[in-house]
Amino acid sequence: MTWTDEELVARSIGGDSDSFNELVLRWERPIYALAYRTIGREEDARDVCQETFLRAFRALPGFRGQAKFSSWLYRIALNLCRDWVRRERRAPVVQPPEDVDVMDLAVAAEPSESIEDLVARKDLSRAVERAMALLPEEQRTAIVLKEYHGLTFQEIADLVGCPLSTVKTRLYQGLTVLRRELAKSHNATL
Amino acid sequence: MTDSVCSYPGDRDEALVTYLYDDGGEPLARATFEAHLVTCVRCAEELAALRGVRTQLGRWNPPGFASVADRGSRDGARRWWREVPVWAQVAAALLFLGVSAAIANLEVRYDANGLSVRTGWMSARPGQPAAAPVPVQVAPTGTASQLIGAPWRTDLIALERQLKSEFHGAQAAAPAGAAAPHQAIDAETLRRVRVLIDESEKRQQRELALRLAEAIRDVNAQRQADLMKVDRVLGTVQNNLGIQVLKNRAQMQQMDYFIRTSQRQ
Repeated sequence: MTWTDEELVARSIGGDSDSFNELVLRWERPIYALAYRTIGREEDARDVCQETFLRAFRALPGFRGQAKFSSWLYRIALNLCRDWVRRERRAPVVQPPEDVDVMDLAVAAEPSESIEDLVARKDLSRAVERAMALLPEEQRTAIVLKEYHGLTFQEIADLVGCPLSTVKTRLYQGLTVLRRELAKSHNATL
Repeated sequence: MTDSVCSYPGDRDEALVTYLYDDGGEPLARATFEAHLVTCVRCAEELAALRGVRTQLGRWNPPGFASVADRGSRDGARRWWREVPVWAQVAAALLFLGVSAAIANLEVRYDANGLSVRTGWMSARPGQPAAAPVPVQVAPTGTASQLIGAPWRTDLIALERQLKSEFHGAQAAAPAGAAAPHQAIDAETLRRVRVLIDESEKRQQRELALRLAEAIRDVNAQRQADLMKVDRVLGTVQNNLGIQVLKNRAQMQQMDYFIRTSQRQ
């Protein structure tokens, strides 16, 4: 039987640790992805992910269900990411590996994909990562939440605490910067 | 007809993003923007470009992720989010060690000096001063006046004095006669140890001899088997050689016959 998040939350508050474990398993990957795309460092993203669930566990008795559990988690994670960026006083750093290991590529390749295609795919992924790192934090967060987590404009507005129109403006501005940077990156590789 | 200057009557950027993500907005507003796209090259191009950006964004995946919940076994109930802090673990370990030290070698003695309780990791070695016992005053079950007035009190005191005098007498006599029995015991122990060592050596020698005999037997058996195999192979080779020799000889005779016949002719 599959429990909803809200049911698992209620059971966790009642002392069922297995239920919270289920919530962790369900949400740790999206939270890690959110953290990684926001701060751009793998290890730090893992730490943020773990800290998010630690805080959630501690604050769970106070969770009254005003928002969805996922939105609540996202808010905790985003606050932690924001703290990280401020603490580090720098923009997210993207550190793509310079050397390409052919064996790793061969392992990562899809069955129908050639090594050349895979290299191109990885190059594009790195280009996106670099371009995202150039965005201001607010724009990057809006794009990450919209593109990779499928939140509605209203959910993003509620989450980051700004008007709906501001979310749309941030998205438009962020996408425009990305368009320009990706075009530059594409021209540079030609 | 299209124009390059956007004439959308409203917040064009907001409308573009709303249309791009198809998220919310009034159906009428959406239809209006859709109609605008037909005539506005700039908006149509930008919409296509932003769709391309979204496609590219879809190619960006975070590096591999090892589940934090699976760092322990999933059913093994290792709940890292409620893990005891390190300082608490250290404190618990110290407490455990303290309790262990306290109960290790616990010695409770009740003698003329009263009840003594001694604890510690190491028991006192002979010749070393033992840890000072901690006398514990046992609370009397009755009142002092009751004890003093008890009829068995005088008998008990007399018995105590008698035991003490006998004990001290035994202690005084012990040093004089203690050396001889100790020497006898040491000699007997030494003899027994030697016997045990001798027996052990003999047993080891027997074991070694047995193992050597087994090894020699195995080597001999293997040698016999190898010799037989070599002999068989040699025999086969000789047979083949003999057959070949016979064949050659027959061929030679045949050739000789042909030569002689041809010479006659």
